[in-house]
Amino acid sequence: MRYALPFFLLLLVSPLQAQVYMTEGGRAEFTSSVPLHTFTGTSDRLAGRIDLAEGTVDFYLDLETLDTGIGKRDKDMRETLETDQFPFAEFFGTLATPFDPASRAAQSVRVQGTFKLHGVEREVEIEGTLQQTADGLRVEAAWDINLDDYDIVPPRLLIVKVDEVQAIRIEATLSPENS
Amino acid sequence: MPRERADPGGPVEEVFWAPTIVLTNSVTNLPQGNLNFTIMHSFGIATDGVQDLFGLDGAANIRFGIDYGVFDWLSVGVGRSRFDKLYDGRFKANVLRQTKDGRMPLELALTGNVGVMTLENGFEFTDRLNYGAAVLLARKVSDRLSVQVAPMVSHFNTVFIEEDTDGAILEQKNTHLGLGLAGRFAITRRVAVLAEYLPVFGERSDGTTDAFSVGLNLETGGHVFQLFFTPSSWLTEQHAIARNTDQFFEGDFRFGFNVNRVFSVR
Repeated sequence: MRYALPFFLLLLVSPLQAQVYMTEGGRAEFTSSVPLHTFTGTSDRLAGRIDLAEGTVDFYLDLETLDTGIGKRDKDMRETLETDQFPFAEFFGTLATPFDPASRAAQSVRVQGTFKLHGVEREVEIEGTLQQTADGLRVEAAWDINLDDYDIVPPRLLIVKVDEVQAIRIEATLSPENS
Repeated sequence: MPRERADPGGPVEEVFWAPTIVLTNSVTNLPQGNLNFTIMHSFGIATDGVQDLFGLDGAANIRFGIDYGVFDWLSVGVGRSRFDKLYDGRFKANVLRQTKDGRMPLELALTGNVGVMTLENGFEFTDRLNYGAAVLLARKVSDRLSVQVAPMVSHFNTVFIEEDTDGAILEQKNTHLGLGLAGRFAITRRVAVLAEYLPVFGERSDGTTDAFSVGLNLETGGHVFQLFFTPSSWLTEQHAIARNTDQFFEGDFRFGFNVNRVFSVR
């Protein structure tokens, strides 16, 4: 019995006990290509919530936080995405493959759900990894989107057109919801 | 999970499309880590006719310059103009930013410019110096319309007393006070018209006139092209206020252009 109290206290503070994880500071990145040139836009304001009990995965990004390194290009990007009207990129879905929260190994997972961008919703499947760490639940995922699928007209730089396919990558460490 | 904007009260986007309007600074500053390379060009008087190809054969003043965003609110730059073989250093500091939520309705910036004339004329260094400073107050009224009011001062350490061709004495003043009035109206996402008026108040050099300029802003991604008609052949604020002697509405205007190219050096 004398070990019972420390044991229960340990359970209370252990992230292994958590079922719901959240972040507002994940990293999102897109890579865009034009002939002879590639540029990347990043944001450290990715917000996300994963409920392991329900198996739900919910992420969104305020697109105005994306930074390509050149103010003029950021402005072009925001105009192209019409962020005044459609400020967020959003994903809501469910884990389609099992995840063992007791393991500390990075585990490949697949999520299925709805990705919404520029006011257009599309059903998607995204592969990534989940990993329990000392800091929380680590998420990494990468996939491609086609701008045409979301009614986004790729901008032109003079006669050069930005590639319709954009590589998306996210990474975040989600903390237990009540920590 | 409820969706919330990350920065709903952040600064409005680009009150003007470029750091300059025509001859004067706009409140728009460079983001941190951005380098703006500028070529400013003004030709001869356009109304001299086809013989001079509407001023293109005339003496052109050219200023090459670079400005760098040290912080989002502070940029510094250097430039070199052909007339007077002038080197200048300048800064722009945004003290207040207009916000999207209207909590701050105006944009306020301070600018300063120090020029050094390097013509070989035997002057001491301090005699070669000239200064310009301005307080820029602007508002992006709508996505299409922005306006700016800018009290400014121009000072030359050395001025001249000259005699014109009729034998009249022309006296220059060291200091001029002026007001920069400017507006931009966007016709499309890429094209805007510009107007700029620089009235001088109080004492002024003999022959100095108020410069009125009109132009077009053309934006193409990383470039902003500014095509304009202006009476002034001078390309720094202190010179445009004090040294302009031509009058737009009497037909004494010249074609000019600014090319702005932004790079990221982070």
